[in-house]
Amino acid sequence: MRDRLSGLKRGMLLAAVLAGALLHFPGAGKAAESETHASPAVQARLISAEDGIAPDARSVSVALDLVLGDGWKTYWRSPGEVGIPPQIDWTGSHNIADVEMLWPAPKRFRAFGIENFGYDTEVAFPLRVALEQPGAPARLNAAVNLLVCSDICVPEIFDLTLTLDLGTGIDLASAARIAEYAAKVPDDGDRSGISISTAFIAADLTSLTIAARSEAGFQTPDVFAELGPAAAFGAPDIRLSEGGSALWARLPILYAGEVLPELRVTITDGPTAATLSPELSPAPPKPPFSLKTAVPGIGDVAWIALFALIGGLILNVMPCVLPVLSIKLSSAVKTSGQSPHRIGSGFLASALGVLVFMWALAAATLLARWLGLSVGWGLQFQNPSFLAIMFLILALFAANLFGAFEISLPSALQTRLANADGAPGYAGDFATGAFAAVLATPCSAPFLGTAVAFALSGRPLDIFVIFTALGIGLASPYILIALRPGLVARLPRPGPWMVWLKLALGGLLAVTAAWLLSVLVGVSGPAAAASVALATLGLVLILSIGRISSRLRLVAGSVLALAIMVGPAFMLPPLAETRAIATNWTPFNRAEIARLVSGGSVAFVDVTADWCLTCKANKALVLDREPVATALDAPGIVPMRADWTRPDEGISRYLASFDRFGIPFNVVYGPAAPEGIVLPELLTSEAVLDALEAAARRAVAIRE
Amino acid sequence: MAIDRRLFLAGLGVAAVGAAAWKYVPRIFEAPLSFEAMADPEGFRKIEGGKRSAAFDPFFGLSPDEVDPGEAVTEATVRQDICGALYGGNTVPSGVVRIASFSDYYCPYCRVQTQKLARLEENSSGGIEVVWHELPLLGETSDMAAKAALAAKRQGAYVLFHKRLMKSAFRPTPEYLRLLSKDIGIDHDQMAADMASASVEEELRTSAALARIFAFVGTPALVVGKTVIQGQISDRTIERLIELEREEGVSATCATA
Repeated sequence: MRDRLSGLKRGMLLAAVLAGALLHFPGAGKAAESETHASPAVQARLISAEDGIAPDARSVSVALDLVLGDGWKTYWRSPGEVGIPPQIDWTGSHNIADVEMLWPAPKRFRAFGIENFGYDTEVAFPLRVALEQPGAPARLNAAVNLLVCSDICVPEIFDLTLTLDLGTGIDLASAARIAEYAAKVPDDGDRSGISISTAFIAADLTSLTIAARSEAGFQTPDVFAELGPAAAFGAPDIRLSEGGSALWARLPILYAGEVLPELRVTITDGPTAATLSPELSPAPPKPPFSLKTAVPGIGDVAWIALFALIGGLILNVMPCVLPVLSIKLSSAVKTSGQSPHRIGSGFLASALGVLVFMWALAAATLLARWLGLSVGWGLQFQNPSFLAIMFLILALFAANLFGAFEISLPSALQTRLANADGAPGYAGDFATGAFAAVLATPCSAPFLGTAVAFALSGRPLDIFVIFTALGIGLASPYILIALRPGLVARLPRPGPWMVWLKLALGGLLAVTAAWLLSVLVGVSGPAAAASVALATLGLVLILSIGRISSRLRLVAGSVLALAIMVGPAFMLPPLAETRAIATNWTPFNRAEIARLVSGGSVAFVDVTADWCLTCKANKALVLDREPVATALDAPGIVPMRADWTRPDEGISRYLASFDRFGIPFNVVYGPAAPEGIVLPELLTSEAVLDALEAAARRAVAIRE
Repeated sequence: MAIDRRLFLAGLGVAAVGAAAWKYVPRIFEAPLSFEAMADPEGFRKIEGGKRSAAFDPFFGLSPDEVDPGEAVTEATVRQDICGALYGGNTVPSGVVRIASFSDYYCPYCRVQTQKLARLEENSSGGIEVVWHELPLLGETSDMAAKAALAAKRQGAYVLFHKRLMKSAFRPTPEYLRLLSKDIGIDHDQMAADMASASVEEELRTSAALARIFAFVGTPALVVGKTVIQGQISDRTIERLIELEREEGVSATCATA
């Protein structure tokens, strides 16, 4: 500890001395450096600030200088979850008492969910070399073991030799480089003005929390913790307050050894960095503010509503919605003889259609949640019948636009509509809007994940606000035209170009239909999709061949349409043989639970399904995330996963034994809870950890 | 406005082209896989996974000067039957593509690739067979982790082992190994015995000899059928390569090599 700190100080001193030396020795001497080891990944050499050993000199300033190729990196002394730091063996050196390697502040690299700390582009590791015999020539013999990684990891093992004869003089370039990197070595807080007031490691070794201060104020801080070679930390949650002078950070501990060695925390902030060894405090520092509040504030709701609004707007240009907008516009073109007032209110009706559908969806979400069902955005796209119907509608529209047949209302109805002064066809306008909203749901998922996840766990008011904002965003083109009906008058007059426009719009619809069909292939398999496509083709043919009597047409058409709607539900493909079971998740085995519990183990049961989006959210936000992932991974805990993607009598009976008929469903069994502790549907880390602890209580007592 | 049938058919054509474009346009722009035949060992070819591994001299290899006489003997033996060493000697029905995977504990991407290959194998319903090799390049811990992986492999838990390593650092201590064997559901005593066994040692030597023969510069490295790939590789590339190897048939090379 003392040695290390003084080492850090020496690093600073070295930088200062070298900077001073640069001023006093303007003349460049003969360069003292080793041969260069060169590979496509790295060029490595030893450089020396001094050209030779000066009389009575007790030490020399050397560095291992690395220039890394594009995309290559090497590692810090604590490399993170994997990787290995550079190692140098000095065996075979002459007149060398000791070599101290200094580590410039690292950068954080994140790839494939793995945290790594190290260097890219270039780095020099300053080496403080103490001579055995002052003022005598020396030879450095470095056997370097360097791991460099890009898209491949290559161990670079090579020797570098640096001979230092007697002499004086400073190599300006080398000295500048060593000084540059010596300045990057974290200090002990003196120069950087960084200090740690509190450091707390949770008793269950799940997280490290620190509070730190900076005299100069933090700009872009990062926190690296070291707790012996075995420990690994996840990405830090860093929060600044008091105008940047106070820092609070929590780092999940992915793994810690049985014995906790001294904690070292390195805080970097731009060019400054400090490595500190704080004493552990009995209680965690309070975060300056909370990121996750149980009830989101007005501000949060407003932000998320804004996202939903923008998301809704973007949805208009998505391939699944654009055609509906085109239908609407083309009908406006067709009927441009209408009064601006009529056009305006027509578009307003469409906007209302969008909104009403959204509200219906919000209501359905609430109702379903209240009923304990799993709710998910885009879930209807898992339903083969829904897909088949949407495909049918789109295909018919497309065929209609291509001129295969004309959709005409019975003359009586037409007359009635024409006579009904005031609101002819508002229902159609309304339906167009609702249809656009229905089609928008699959496209929205990737864009609105945040808003929707928030909505699903939010209060009824939040859900209402979000869905309304979504609807307004999606309806904005309609609202625009409703407000300025004159825009439609600017659309060009009817002419032959309309044929081409119809073709283009039909093409868009057809592409969307094809996409739906590809989704259907995924859900129901190629056979079902092909049947739906064939039946739809048949329907189009029946509608387009003029000679068939209208009654026959009606009957045949209805039968085909019905077949399309119902058929796919019965044509599910066979289930893949074995479903992937994650890490240590064992497949659900109800009989096994009692045996495990009697043996003192804790069993965590997760009933899930591919189509259950809430289950997926639970998995992504809680189960696969720290601290729960580690907790489930602990010895004595057996996580079991039951897959209810396809109906399974055993799982249904198991759920029914808890009076439950929907998922997500999670239960924890243990010696202290042989009947099981049922967890809430929307899991939280606390709930899971508390239940695990409660269920295991007796087992812990025995083991301790 | 009447639109005739011809126009309707044209429309259908547009729809079909549109649908095809939806799925296949991105593939049109794919460059064909480009191979380079290897002079040694004969009958194999290579494809560059990442552009960075391509920069290495093909004769660079893994410190060939450090081969001790015992290993040199293994290398000569392995050369007698490269395919047997790569793929474990089992014959597979035609149509099955075999993949030899080489990984090291310290290589971040290796674990990701191991999971990827395991998924490919699982979803192929027998069309793909992956043979796992360990190539510990980075000292003692690397070596111990490799032995533990191979011991786990003997109990059918190779992939589980690697998945488990993604969560916590490997430590070559008895307590750690006990915990780990429990976590992945394998017998600890058996694992400990296997780690010290001659068969694991032999397997490591064989893998190391293969790495020298194929001049791997690092990890991960793959041999898919008769194609050598080094470094990270995209899902799409590996799928295309597997398709191609399946078409070409993998047995011919291994019969002649």
